[in-house]
Amino acid sequence: MFPQALSKSETDIRLPILFILFALLSFVASQGLLFMDAENVVNGFYRTPLIWSAAHLLLLGWGTMVAMGAMYQLVPVAFLVPIWSMRLGYMQFFITAVGIVLLCGSFLFYMDGLAVSGGITVIGILLFLFQMAMSLRKQQQKNVMTLFVVASLLCLFLTIGLGLLLALNLGLGLSVIDHTVLLKTHILLGIGGWFTLLIIGFSYKLVPMFALAHGFSMKLSNWVFGLYAAGLVASAGSFFFGQPLLFIAGLFLLFAAFSLFALHMRQIVRKRLKKRLDKGFMFSLGSIAGGWFLHLLAVLAATLPEAGRAFGWILYFYIIIWITFTIAGYLYKVVPFLWWTYKYSTVAGKKGTPLLKDLINDRTAVVTFSLFIIAALGIAAALAVQANVLFLFSQALFFAATALFLMMIVTIATR
Amino acid sequence: MELKDQIVEALKEVYDPELGINVVDLGLIYDVDVDAEQNVHVTMTLTTPGCPLHDSIVFGMKDRVQEVPAVAAVDVDVVWEPAWTPEKMSKDAMEQLGF
Repeated sequence: MFPQALSKSETDIRLPILFILFALLSFVASQGLLFMDAENVVNGFYRTPLIWSAAHLLLLGWGTMVAMGAMYQLVPVAFLVPIWSMRLGYMQFFITAVGIVLLCGSFLFYMDGLAVSGGITVIGILLFLFQMAMSLRKQQQKNVMTLFVVASLLCLFLTIGLGLLLALNLGLGLSVIDHTVLLKTHILLGIGGWFTLLIIGFSYKLVPMFALAHGFSMKLSNWVFGLYAAGLVASAGSFFFGQPLLFIAGLFLLFAAFSLFALHMRQIVRKRLKKRLDKGFMFSLGSIAGGWFLHLLAVLAATLPEAGRAFGWILYFYIIIWITFTIAGYLYKVVPFLWWTYKYSTVAGKKGTPLLKDLINDRTAVVTFSLFIIAALGIAAALAVQANVLFLFSQALFFAATALFLMMIVTIATR
Repeated sequence: MELKDQIVEALKEVYDPELGINVVDLGLIYDVDVDAEQNVHVTMTLTTPGCPLHDSIVFGMKDRVQEVPAVAAVDVDVVWEPAWTPEKMSKDAMEQLGF
């Protein structure tokens, strides 16, 4: 039974759960599609309908939908503001979900439908942005986390605007701005702006909370934000003005910001009171190291004369190791919170009420997260030596790991 | 046993579901006040502002205290000053966290 009245720090958890379920199914489907187009991935031909469809399923269906769902839960608790309209939340979920399914279908079967399906997706995301703007403006004391989240939402807004322009280019043959400039900026703001800024912002809430860390300084976070934002502006500027040196400078700023972020997270975790950390949380922390390494590789690749394929791989692993693995690890902590609140909040304090750790199975988590790591390493090796069979095997393993992860999350709801 | 002591004992049965430590040993309870009409006012904090389990813990505490015989009404006030610090935990709680 749901609690009778929702306070300002609570939300109707059915909505985040709907988002998360859709996201998990998209995650599994995206990996299935990548498996089907293995040869093109290995050979570095990313501009195929299957890969476009898989990429949008992964980034919109999985990443963005899970981020939206998490925000419906986290914004009230982290910013102490209620969600502006839950009815709009449900409407926004259905519009965005339908849009994403149609968009990915358009890539596969009917390219002329891109403008319409992209438009529906854009409406869904705009409604989300409106919802968040209306909710966040009520926050009384803004902090650095607000800065990260608002900047990430702004990047999402710009990303979908650019995506719509790209869809008009492809679907209707219109060309307002150079296609390549649009595509590069769309990817940069979507990946580095929307996802990375959001993950960093919420990490400043989740990491101290999950580790029970106290007595740490937040000074570095302002530097992280400033440098990362400057890196995004410089990198985007380099695309529009065709300045390779500005691109290197932009990527270096992003690397510097991410290095400070990784260092800051290390400082916070060292101040923890909880000595034994949960496996999902450790997986997220590990992926920060992966993200740092990929930022370093991006700076190095930018200095090479022909690095197009290298950037494709860096981007792929950035999405998998930094974005996907961090989200997956956090999700394995957030979902038990949601489910416990849903099922047990009204019997808290009564004998026999399970603890959060009783809802999760750490042994299965270790197996699943290890499979993710082994599969990612296998994919990296396959791409490095151009081995189709190894890629197929590793991608199949990754697909199996996503299916296992889906089951692992769904199992929480059986306890 | 005095009513105030009974209430503290009852609160020891309310656990932080994330940490598995009761709210008393965790040092979350700042004050328990019982007036002449047996109305109980609990002043408490949480380990972090914006804890997702805020309402569940407060609800569980109210519910448990209400079960103590002779208690008329329960009111729980969550405060952030003074902020919770690890020093407020009991020795048992520290041990459970791995210290």
